[in-house]
Parts: sequence; C-alpha cells; structure tokens
Amino acid sequence: MSQTNTTIYAARKIITMNPMQPHATHVAVRDGRVLAVGSLADMQAWGTATLDERFAAKVLMPGLVEGHCHLKEGSMWDWTYLGWFDRRDPAGKVWSGLRSMDEVVSRLTEVAAKMTADGVPDTEPLVAWGFDPIYFGGERMTVHHVDRASATRPIVIGHANGHLMNVNSAMLRIAEITRDNEVEGVVKFAEGPDEGEPTGELQEPAAMFLVLRKIGNAGLLAPMTEAGVRSFAKLACLQGVTTATDLVNKLTEEDCGVLEKVTQDDGFAVRILPAFQAFHGTHGAAQGAEHVKGLMPRNTDRLRYGLVKMMLDGSIQGFSARLRWPGHFNGAPNGIWVTAPAQYEADFETYHRAGLTIHTHTNGDEASEVAIDAIGRVLTRAPRPDHRHTLQHGQMIDAPLFRRMASLGLCANLFANHIWYWGDQHYEMTMGPDRANRLDACGSALAAGVPLAIHSDAPVTPLGPLFTAWCAVNRITPKGRLLGEAERISVPQALRAITLGAAWTLKLDGEIGSIECGKRADFCVLEDDPLEMDPMALKDARVWGTVLSGRVFEAQRG
Amino acid sequence: MTTTPKRKRLPLTVIGGFLGAGKTTLLNRWLREANGLRMAVLVNDFGALNIDADLIAATHGDTMALTNGCVCCQIGDDLGRALVEVIEAKTPFDAVVIEASGVSDPWRIAQIGMAAPELSLEGVIVLVDASAAARQAHDPLLADTLARQVKSADLVVVNKADIASAEALAGAHAWVEATAPGTPRIGTVESAVPLALLSGLPHAEGALPHACGPDCHDHHHDHGAPDHGGVFQTWNARPDAVIPAAMLRAWLREMPPGVLRLKGLVRTGRGDAGDEWSELQFAGRHGTLRKAAAPAGEARAGVVAIGLRGQLPEEALKAFFTP
Repeated sequence: MSQTNTTIYAARKIITMNPMQPHATHVAVRDGRVLAVGSLADMQAWGTATLDERFAAKVLMPGLVEGHCHLKEGSMWDWTYLGWFDRRDPAGKVWSGLRSMDEVVSRLTEVAAKMTADGVPDTEPLVAWGFDPIYFGGERMTVHHVDRASATRPIVIGHANGHLMNVNSAMLRIAEITRDNEVEGVVKFAEGPDEGEPTGELQEPAAMFLVLRKIGNAGLLAPMTEAGVRSFAKLACLQGVTTATDLVNKLTEEDCGVLEKVTQDDGFAVRILPAFQAFHGTHGAAQGAEHVKGLMPRNTDRLRYGLVKMMLDGSIQGFSARLRWPGHFNGAPNGIWVTAPAQYEADFETYHRAGLTIHTHTNGDEASEVAIDAIGRVLTRAPRPDHRHTLQHGQMIDAPLFRRMASLGLCANLFANHIWYWGDQHYEMTMGPDRANRLDACGSALAAGVPLAIHSDAPVTPLGPLFTAWCAVNRITPKGRLLGEAERISVPQALRAITLGAAWTLKLDGEIGSIECGKRADFCVLEDDPLEMDPMALKDARVWGTVLSGRVFEAQRG
Repeated sequence: MTTTPKRKRLPLTVIGGFLGAGKTTLLNRWLREANGLRMAVLVNDFGALNIDADLIAATHGDTMALTNGCVCCQIGDDLGRALVEVIEAKTPFDAVVIEASGVSDPWRIAQIGMAAPELSLEGVIVLVDASAAARQAHDPLLADTLARQVKSADLVVVNKADIASAEALAGAHAWVEATAPGTPRIGTVESAVPLALLSGLPHAEGALPHACGPDCHDHHHDHGAPDHGGVFQTWNARPDAVIPAAMLRAWLREMPPGVLRLKGLVRTGRGDAGDEWSELQFAGRHGTLRKAAAPAGEARAGVVAIGLRGQLPEEALKAFFTP
C-alpha cells in the first residue's frame, strides 16, 4: 500500500556523505524518510513509485546542519542592516555592504524617508544593526552623521559587537542624555564647537540602558516572535540548512509556545533544536535539568528540546575572552568569566548526571582548558558513555588540548567564519600571528580525532554552512592573508563537518547528516557540485532550496 | 521633549563579591531589618535568598512581594528590564539594591545608577570572604576577577572573620589593602553590615536641602533611626557662597580620602534671572554634578558627608565648603 507514496528523485549527482556509497543518481523517499539510494534500477526493486525529475539537473547533498546559530538571525531583518559585508535577507534580497560613513548615512536616509512616506509616526524609532567601525580605520560615527538621516525620528544603531551603539540627537533628547551625564560610556566631543556635548556613541550596558529602556521591545532586545522564527526558516532554506540549533533559549512558556506553534506548520522548512540557557538564569541547575527533561516529551520531528548551553567567557574581538599566556597581543588585560570555573563544574555535573548533552561556549584557550579540566573531573566521578558534550567556538584550542578532548570524548564545533570576519584583527590586535595561524584549528582537531563541526553563530556572522566550509578550506582573510596553511581541511572534510559532523554533536547522526536508507529525507538542493568546483569558489555554490523530511522547499529569491 | 523625573531620585546600591562572600546573607539580613524602608532588591535567583515563608506576601513570576513592603526581583540576564520595573513602580521605593553576580564587575552595574535620571548611585559595597580571599587571590584563574571587584568598591567588607584563621584574616586584609589602597574597609561576621549605609544620608537630612510641607509624602521621615552602629560618622554644612561648577567638578575628582558618600545642593552661579543651583553627589568613588531647581522655601545650600568613624576628613571638607 505504502508503495504508492514512494517518490524517486533523479539527480545529476547525489553526494550522500555515506563513505560506503559516496555517490548515487537516484533516491527514493517514503514517509519522509530515505527508502533507497543508488541507480533508478535499484529504486525499482521497491515496486511502484512516482519518478520526480525536477532535480534531474541538480546536485543533492544531505540537508546542511548548523550546530551553532540563533533564531534571532530571522528577526534582525525587521531592522535596517548597516554591515560592511554583503548579506542576504529572508526574502532573498542581498543588502550590499556599506564601505564608508556616507554610504551608511544614505541607507539610513532612505529608510527614514520611506518610514515617513509609509506614514510611520515620527516617534517610532529607526533601529539599525550590524554597523562595525572596526573596518572604518579610526573614524567614529557621531550625531553629525546620523542627524543627516533624520533630525526628528529617533535613530538607534547597534554595533556588530553588541557592546556599543550610536544614536542621533532626537534619540539623545528622548533618553535625556546631555553634557551633564557623567557616566563613562557616554562619549563626548573632546574639542571643537561641540566640546563636552555627547557624540551619540554609547558604550557598554549602563549608557545603552538609557536608550534601550525608551525603545524597549521595539528594539534590539525584542523577544522571539513567530514572524522572526518564520524568517529564520526562509534564511535556512536559502542556505540549504534543514536542521539548526537556537543555541541559547530561556525556554519560558512563551518561548516554547512560539516554537511549538511555528514548527507544527508543515510549511515550516527547518528542524529546530533550542538549547536551554543554563547560565545567567533564574533556575538552579537541578531545576534547569528538570525543566529541560520535562519539555522533551513534547518533541516532534521539527522541534527537539534537550540541549543545554553553558557559557564560560566572553568574545575575543571584544577582549573579554579568557586567554592563556601570553595573553592579548596588544597588551589588553585578560577577559572575564561569564560563569565562575567552580560554578561551571558544579552545574555541568548536575546537567551531565541528568543525562543531558551540554554545549559550552569557550572562546579563549584558558576558558577551553578550564572546561576540559572540569569535564575531565566530572567524567571521572560520573562516567557516561557517548555523552557528546561539545565545546562551542573553541577558537584558540591547540593540538594538546584537542588530544585531551579526544580522550574525553568531547566534540568541537569551531567558529570557522571568524577566520574571514575577524582573522586580520586577530592577527594584528587580539592574539598575534602565531595563535591567529591556528585560529579555529580544524586541521588539528581532525588530526587528534576530535569529532568536528563548524559554525556561523548567526546573527554574529551570516548563516551559510557552505560559506563556513569555504572558510575552513581556504583560511583566507579580507586582507589576503592565509592563516595557517596546514590547518586547512579538504572540501570533503568540510562538507562532512557541516552535515554528519554537526549531526554527531547533536546526537542526530543516526537520523540525519547523510543520505542512506532509514534516515530522514533531508536534502540540500544545489545547482553546482561542491566537489567539482574550485575550492576557492565553494562559498558561491548556488542553493536551489531544500527537502525536509520529504517536503520540498524552493528558496525565495530576491 | 523631556520627561524630567517628578520623583526623588532612587538611591542605588550595588553589592559585589565572589561566590561565597556572603552577598545573599547580607540581602536576607537587610530584608528582615528593613523596618519601614521600602527596598527593592534585585538578585540573580530568589530561590537562593531563602526568605522566611511568613515574610512573603505574594509571588508573581520574577517578582516577590514581602509583607514589610520590600520587593525582590529576579534579574536573569536582563537587568535593564528589572530596573525599569522598579523605577516605574506605582508606589515608589526608598532604595534599590542590586546583587552583582559572583564574577561580574560591580562597577559596570553601578554606572547605571549614574546614568539614569531617576537613579542616584549610593555606593558599591564589595564583600570579601576572609577565610578564602587570600587563597583565591593567588588562583591565576580568579586573581584578576577578584581584584577588579575590590577595586570597584567604595566600601570593602571583610566578612566571615569568625571562621577564618588568624593568618587567613590578616592575609585577606593585606590583600585588600594592597589591591585597593586607601579604600574604606570594615571587618564583620555573618554579613552584619549596618543598613545605615542605605539610609545613612537621609538620617542626616537636617543638613539636606529638602523642604517638607505638610503634604510631603516624598520620603520617609520615620523608618526608625538607623543605628550607625558606631561604624559611621557624618559631617554637614551650609555653604552660602557661590562655588563655580568647574571648581566643584575638579574637587569631586580629587575627593579627599575617607569620604564614603557626599550629597549636596549648592549655588554654582548668580544671575539676574536668579541663582543657578546644582546637585552634587559623590558615591562609588565617583562624583557627579547636575543642574538642579532652586530649593523651595528657605533657599539654603546644604552638604552632607559620611565616612567610617574617625576617617572622615572633616578639616578638608570644611576648608572647601566653608572656608
């Protein structure tokens, strides 16, 4: 009976990621799962089926798996993008990168004018994101720039690093920020006719609080919405992603309500794994573990509770990561602990004993070492086979630490996109040449036998596993540096990291990550063959869309 | 468009210190001893506070109301949201106390008190575990975090003196003195820090330029006389002369050691349209000067300062304000 529901897809090539059968031309799908892989004749052994040739000229891969991103990538597009790099929005439109202050101002001017033309009240703020002065060679944005876009509508520009913002004079007035405000983070003109007046640049939480409290939920702190999650699914489809994490989620009833509502829709194109925020929370670890386990019976194909996220340090480019000797290249003091090492170990043990899989944010190598030390002690006290605990980012991990991770069964999900986005800054400012050359050391991880995934941390950098793979394969920077030639990995290794590798860290490698009988029918549908392309062109591989558990989704093009 | 706050500024105190230093014990103590002072306490997790059940009036989500008028709020990772709720509460609070997490730098939180127009920074109190500080300060993973906390304090409380060995206690004091030389410091047990630190200045309000009418509900006149416990000492004056703003700012930057808190309302200029008044405030080792309305009624300036007993630099204060 069920034969009538079997569909056979013909493809130019199927890259299965199953090393025992690397290539095929046909795949049969039944009940949302892969029934058979091989030639058309192999399929026909299963009886009657519908032959679907829409992918006959295309290349199929397993649906790509993003093991570290955030659903917020979807809702960022409610606001105006001001980044240095080109970036694609959920509708498929590419927003060009802005390479000068004038370009930034003209985009703001256009958007402000459009808001006014659309009848948006003048009190409604224009919120923008992704601005990064690190690329502007020392020129700082001030009210003189932003006021050119609008003198009346409040404008708030969040910087890419999350620690700073710029606003215009209208917003300064609403937030009551004047020359008399003596908080350190309110930057003031040092000279000239406006000496002593605020420039509109606000640094760190105290100064930004003055603005955020006025724009509230209209702004960068907006909670997760159904529309935002749906936008995320569109972005995922554009990038060939069928499974993605939301690697920090408080999982309140409201959050779960949004996730459950959106993912029950058959038109929703991505499988979501939210990770419970087990730091800075209001739950003790024991209640946190109970909370996560209590949610897991509500799991569906497209929504999987069960991951736990912990966090040890800050960010390298923000100089808040914890570094071992010799510290920061520019002499900046060591960064901060987000969780005290002893607290981390105690909480980790609680979640570990509860049987959950823990993903730990460790950027600096001191944080990674602290995590490895702590996990080593926890595993000695409470051995647990096949735990799949994962260090996330792990950007400064060296070969000896990777060898220890391998012996403990730890996985690494490295932030390969950093090589491109901040590689030059790491080389010149944060860690210097030696450690920049082993930044996100995929080659060392594989050599040590550590299960490897690579990620974007979207919205920190754009979602796009093929781009992430390109970073790990080529290791080049915008200034043309090659960071650590020997740490480069091959295209097949990188493709594995964005499919089966990431699936392994999520304990889903038995279900997704390759195209073989019994697995979910999740495909990334490509116009180009990543294995035949020049590796330097890998990031340009064209994605047609995806198939998720047998449902076909064509990506929306702008 | 401006929205000048109509209420009195809400004094903000930040409690810092590493895990185990006694922050929760301190907050528990203050909540029990509030004695009419309507306090909002912002903590990371109120499960850890262990409030007596008979003291809890109601719990709604992240907010717990106590029978004595105080309120506890859980911060989670959104201090801003919790603080806005406190600032905009229907019935105004007398004081807000924020518990910094065990690894955070309390000074970063304290700056919110200087930034927000509705708040005034009252101080940064950092607790140190006398039994563990000297050892923790030599842990290469923790040394810089602990030093950063102590350096951001305007009052260091060396706590748990009773369970520390004599050697550990001496080591803790020596480490604090070496890390933050000259910062006022007291020793105590079981986080016994006088609540007077929150309400100490209003206690000396004879010197403050607050004019009360019969309908004044602006502040508490009677939340019990906070016992300074012999720990603190106040000084006040009525400087009638004009003190130029630039001179005040310079002086605030060079505050003589020993002043924990200082508040005042002084004339910073005279003009045809009337005198120019400014509010000055020194707390958390940082001074601020903001333009202010003239005091109502009897227009007299006033300044009040508080310090540890025997350490308040009265001569230097006199020399500046009433030469």
